[in-house]
Amino acid sequence: MSYCVNCGVELEASLRECPLCHTPVMNPREIGRELPPSPYPTAKGQVEVVKRKDLGILVTVVLTAAAVTCLLLNLLVFSASLWSLIVIGCCLCLFVFLFPAIFYSRMPVWLMLLADGASVAVCLFLFTFVTAEDAWFVQLGLPIVAFLTVCAEIFPLLSRFFPLSILPCALCVFTEIPAFCVALELRIRHYLKQPAHIVWSAVVLTVCVIIDIALVTILTKKRLRNEVRRRLHF
Amino acid sequence: MKKTSKQNASNRISKQNARNRKDVWYKLDLSAIVYPTLQRRDFSSVYRLSVVLKEQIDPDLLQLALDRTLPRFPTYKVAIRKGVFWRYLEPNARPGPYVRRDIKNPCMPMHFKGNNRYLIRVYYYGSRIALEAHHCLGDGTGGMCLLQTLTAVYLELTGHPVRPEGFVLDISSEPDPEELEDAYMRYANAQVCPPRPAGKTYRVRGTKEPFYTLNIIDGVMSVREVMAVAGKYGATVTEYLNAVLLYSLLQKQASDRPARPRPVRIAMPVNLRRFFPSKTLRNFITMVYPFVDPRLGDYTFEEIVEQVHNYMRYYINAKFLRGDITTNASTQRNPLIRVVPLFIKDFVVRTFYTRVQDKNSSAGLTNMGALHVPEDMKPYIERFDIYMGQPFSSRTNCAVISYEDILTVNFASSIVEADVERCFFRRLVQDGIHVTIESNRE
Repeated sequence: MSYCVNCGVELEASLRECPLCHTPVMNPREIGRELPPSPYPTAKGQVEVVKRKDLGILVTVVLTAAAVTCLLLNLLVFSASLWSLIVIGCCLCLFVFLFPAIFYSRMPVWLMLLADGASVAVCLFLFTFVTAEDAWFVQLGLPIVAFLTVCAEIFPLLSRFFPLSILPCALCVFTEIPAFCVALELRIRHYLKQPAHIVWSAVVLTVCVIIDIALVTILTKKRLRNEVRRRLHF
Repeated sequence: MKKTSKQNASNRISKQNARNRKDVWYKLDLSAIVYPTLQRRDFSSVYRLSVVLKEQIDPDLLQLALDRTLPRFPTYKVAIRKGVFWRYLEPNARPGPYVRRDIKNPCMPMHFKGNNRYLIRVYYYGSRIALEAHHCLGDGTGGMCLLQTLTAVYLELTGHPVRPEGFVLDISSEPDPEELEDAYMRYANAQVCPPRPAGKTYRVRGTKEPFYTLNIIDGVMSVREVMAVAGKYGATVTEYLNAVLLYSLLQKQASDRPARPRPVRIAMPVNLRRFFPSKTLRNFITMVYPFVDPRLGDYTFEEIVEQVHNYMRYYINAKFLRGDITTNASTQRNPLIRVVPLFIKDFVVRTFYTRVQDKNSSAGLTNMGALHVPEDMKPYIERFDIYMGQPFSSRTNCAVISYEDILTVNFASSIVEADVERCFFRRLVQDGIHVTIESNRE
């Protein structure tokens, strides 16, 4: 029978130190005595892994079958154009989108978004084989997808370094929307060989700038911020 | 030929039973609706009850006892399913659940599709039988009924028959419909819905343990000693232990030296069966939140006990509790909320719980009270333990249970530091209570 000299509690015979204050048990009368087994097991348990193999197999088989049958149909029956590449591109996109949910749920969010962006880009590239020219892909499709992916990547990257609450999130969204709209309009004008200036995106930009100013004011004024949080809490 | 006709008849009966089983399903009770929505990869609302016998457990007999006992508890032999608007429980005819050797980290997350979809686990270790159940099946009282009945059946198999009484149910009888009811709905009939206490409270900051770790510290003491000390302060055992926990949290907050101290509040479940008669084995609890606010001034321990005593006297009565369960039920009864799809409800409830409800209390404390077992069982029982399970956020949960003259206070936490537990047990020692500590910490 040993007591902790710090806490005054009696310690169960198998304990080598007090679990409350980590003071070692030193009983001069019991030196060299073998400790009895702990009343607690030593083996650690593992949570049973839920297998989603069946769903994974089903999704893979269905998407592959759709892609392969369309390709065969395209090559053997309706062979006027390479329309099956559209189906193959869509199947690929769907598979990449579903991959984290079905096969690997521990995939980092940034990697997931990057893969999604890449799959959409590949899908659009496949579309170029069906369309008459591919300039739209290089000048319009690829930059838009890249910009959209970058916009989406900002959230997981920010959340790694800062705790994102509602107001900073809203600020981020209302900054990204006009930036994306401006870039989109400029790309479209460049593609159509029109002079580089903004029209419709200017309206979006103005509205978002007003909202951003309001949000920055709320975020910098503690009293206002608390008032908004109190009224909007849920 | 005779054998074939017999087989046909038995096949017909089993098909009929299977059809009947398919017709049976259970709505989740009012409390149970919340628990599955909080499910994460590393968190499930699982609690553990265990009994220590005076002889070693035979796993084969325990498995046999479990197989015989579980059909008597239809709301525990279930799987949880998703509907469009709500989740529900349906009878689970899959093999199992199987008894297994106990592990160091109890109350592990319980995935709904794992364990053959069973939402209970039964462990054995030495002379201990432990039952872990997901909270969506029932509360501690329901779980204790299952554990005691299982223990009684096990003892019977070892040659010590036990007559059904109290928590021990007769496994040969049919379940009483009242055992399966959602008792909240029967009593949620107050004319007003009183508001809930809300506000941020002090939260214990600590180093998070890695996944799959649950630190346990058990304090074993004499019921008579604790009652004598509580009586000295003019409080009940529950009030006294609540006050000690509040005192420990206040000490911890003071040692953290926060820029702005916050109120310290404990979430304590109250067994509603004490006030509203019901035999239900499902959830029938509500929460009360005894608190002290250090912003009002420094509290002595005696003042904390007095505050808790007065709080309990004021809030724990049939009138207040009826109002509280009516508030809870009002959301479920609201037709606009009922038609919202489940995934939206899940999102809203999870957000509300994380942002408001979880921050509403600094720690949890539950007291199962003094347990009674049938006279035939008494010679074979050493003690009972109860664990509230893994906390949703980094804090500590405390559960109290007593049997005969043994009172056990079981702390479960997922943080490295044991400051609250240390202060708690030191206070008991200061008050002259002899405490024996057991722990799974290394």
